[in-house]
Amino acid sequence: MQFTVKMGLLLVFALGFSGCTKKNSGQLEYGLKLSETLRINLEQEPPSLDWSKATDTTSSLVTVNLMDGLVDYNLEDPDLSLKPALATEWTSSNNAQTWTFKLRKGVKWTDGADFEAQHVIDGWKRLLLPATASEYAYFLFDIKGAQDFNSGKLKDFSKVGVRINELGELVVELRQAMSFFPLLLTHHSTYPLRQDVVDKFGDRWTNPENIVTLGPYKLKVWEHDKALVLERNETYYGEKAITKNILGYMINEYSTAINLAEGGKLDFQPSLPAKELPLLKQRSGFRQISTLSTYYYGFNTRKIPFNNLKVREAFVHAIDRKQITDLLAAGHAPLSGWVPTGMFGYEADRGLGFDPARAAELLNEAGYSDRSKFPKVSLAFNTNENHQRIAENVQAQIKKNLGIDVQIANEEWKVYLNRLRNDTPSIYRLGWLADYPDPSTFMSLMTSISENNHTGWKNPKYDELVNKGATLTDKEERRKIYSEAQKILLEIDVPVMPIYSSVRHVLLSDRVQNFPLNSLERWTFKGVSLK
Amino acid sequence: MIRQIWGSTIIACFFGAVGLSFFGYQIEPWFWWFSSIVTSTGVILFVVQRGLTLFVLRRLLEAMFVIWVIASLTFLLLRVLPGGPFDSEKALPKEVMANLEKKYKLNEPLVVQYWDYMTGLAHGDLGQSYKYISRDITSIISESLPNSVQLGIYALLISYLIGIPIGVLAGWKPGSKLDFSAMFMAISGVSLPSFLMAPIFILIFAKGLGWFEPALWEGPRYYVLPTVILGIRPAAVIARLTRASVLEVIHSDYIRTAKAKGLDAKSILFKHVLRNSLIPVLTLSGPLAAGVLTGSFVIEQIFAIPGLAKHLVLSVSNRDYPLILGTTLLFSLMLVVANLITDLLMAIVDPRVKIS
Repeated sequence: MQFTVKMGLLLVFALGFSGCTKKNSGQLEYGLKLSETLRINLEQEPPSLDWSKATDTTSSLVTVNLMDGLVDYNLEDPDLSLKPALATEWTSSNNAQTWTFKLRKGVKWTDGADFEAQHVIDGWKRLLLPATASEYAYFLFDIKGAQDFNSGKLKDFSKVGVRINELGELVVELRQAMSFFPLLLTHHSTYPLRQDVVDKFGDRWTNPENIVTLGPYKLKVWEHDKALVLERNETYYGEKAITKNILGYMINEYSTAINLAEGGKLDFQPSLPAKELPLLKQRSGFRQISTLSTYYYGFNTRKIPFNNLKVREAFVHAIDRKQITDLLAAGHAPLSGWVPTGMFGYEADRGLGFDPARAAELLNEAGYSDRSKFPKVSLAFNTNENHQRIAENVQAQIKKNLGIDVQIANEEWKVYLNRLRNDTPSIYRLGWLADYPDPSTFMSLMTSISENNHTGWKNPKYDELVNKGATLTDKEERRKIYSEAQKILLEIDVPVMPIYSSVRHVLLSDRVQNFPLNSLERWTFKGVSLK
Repeated sequence: MIRQIWGSTIIACFFGAVGLSFFGYQIEPWFWWFSSIVTSTGVILFVVQRGLTLFVLRRLLEAMFVIWVIASLTFLLLRVLPGGPFDSEKALPKEVMANLEKKYKLNEPLVVQYWDYMTGLAHGDLGQSYKYISRDITSIISESLPNSVQLGIYALLISYLIGIPIGVLAGWKPGSKLDFSAMFMAISGVSLPSFLMAPIFILIFAKGLGWFEPALWEGPRYYVLPTVILGIRPAAVIARLTRASVLEVIHSDYIRTAKAKGLDAKSILFKHVLRNSLIPVLTLSGPLAAGVLTGSFVIEQIFAIPGLAKHLVLSVSNRDYPLILGTTLLFSLMLVVANLITDLLMAIVDPRVKIS
């Protein structure tokens, strides 16, 4: 009896639902056609598509396809020169302290409204407003009054150095000359914004049904932690995107993504695990791109023994960088200079090279000819297999070339960052990835006021050179200044030891054509076509 | 009779929902309403009828106290943990850091922060995530929890469907070849970690035979591998427990009586042995269910399932305080509720059990 009742009920429900709609009947999810969809891996849920607030690369990847800035990179040019985007022309006056941008006419937002200069100002104001609490607010700190506005000292935004002149052009006044200012305007945090849309929808303005953009793609679906779909913006002012849809998965497990790529279910995987490179290198879709980044070790110059210049020099001379990059076998380029390979200002022979004899000599001169007297030092890094391998190799090289035991210690990422600030280890690991393709992003890292300089080292001459370098417009003159600054940093005072500039490995399926692989890792899809 | 129909409706709703979601049907809201009303009124009536009202109320009060203790401890422990939510490789200028701390009220004294959080919690407001900027914790949870629950329920069903028969057969004929091979499989199931089992299964069933999909969460072909792998360990635990319990039951007096009465083996097994030997298994179900739901992190990672376990783990490395608190509280709540349900189920299955 009981059984019959149960089965009967089950049958009723089953019949009741046989009329329901079934999900995913199309070839791909969300009813997309495979032939017009590029399937990429975003690797994680974008933390925010609000470009005034987003700080990470995933959000940036999405927003650079949804929006345009005043200027854009010419990704086909190896020097990554700038090309017009929302601004058609730009000029500087007052020795690169005032910049004027002529804005494009006839640009439409996805809701049909016209793009206006005020939208740029609205975007910048929102970025700088203390209440927005944007991490990238400092991107515009070089505008006159911007830093004070962000800290709350200045309440009136009209006192900040940006305005629209009588010709409808955008005029920006900087607090000091800055030759590379337009480069900053390629960054997603400086994009124009529709304040009326933000006001209307509040925190929900980035939902697909609310968001208003003007780039080559528009946001169609955003299923959190699962997938995101971009669709070609048919009202885009420039050349329309070739591929109609972008389907972005959020898979953060390498093996999973590689399995999908192998099974022909993923067209672009933006990073690969170091350990499996030997195998993956044989794939037809394997690509290697050099990036504008530096992997380095810093010395705590406040404490014994690295307060002694000779000890620092000895340690740098004792390391054969090529041995490290060979060990990693990932294609990274050994780097003794500060500005990475492939960037303006890079110098192949800058910095101290491998010289074990000189290293031992320097350590003797420093008063440690009796190696047992050398204080205990620790080399710290954040927990990661690659960092571990490098640290172990450095430990072995120091032992072999200097006869000193270095302790290596790893810590969880946030704990490590906290320690760098409050109790800097004798030797620490960090890296830096260019925000924009200009050496100033690397040079300003080690100034005395930089929050990222954990070495405790300061040199007014270095600060002065770096500040001067930012103001110069003459390329050759700049190169000289930065060369001089790098000499101080790497050969005279030696608070840091660059190790390599890294490369990125990606998988691209055979059906993808014209994918813009570039050293900035800026993946824009409008020119991508599918076979 | 009414009770039977009521019970059957609840069971039918449950299996209906599981079955329909498995085959990729959208479950209509009316069905959810119908099922939850039937289930909750059924539970309330049962509780009242059996005189368990006070017991349940007391347990719920206890649960609230436990949740409060967990919330306070987690809140305090998070502040002791070195490293803050906005520490990053690119250190932020002071102004920017000050704005962030002000926005999230991290500059206030700890007591004020604690009070704010607790009053928010009392109103059902878990705050906003630091990492997923401007997203409410409740919306993060409500979007990812269904997937975790779906995965967890399939896995539990599989583990019962595999574990109980194997355990019963092994216990019914102890020392036989069947017993030996079943227990060998159970031991392997308990000891093989899922991060090892998953790639092996993917290699064989997805890449090799092409029966199932290697990742994502889109339909039946996608559900099978993660569910089975997640279900294997509890299946093994259930099998071993059932076997032990069956062994105990078949030596008891009432089974001897049943045999002496001349009942055939089949009805002894199904009517007497099975029902009585499942009681210990039922006791374990609460913790097992909570364990499957929280322990699915590895599976969610490997199969790219948009579930909640990922947030539970990753929120800690991001120091996303509100999300850590939200997920921790949710899982504690699930554990408490699962145990309560187990106790009530015990009362249904075993008339000897007196709850007071």
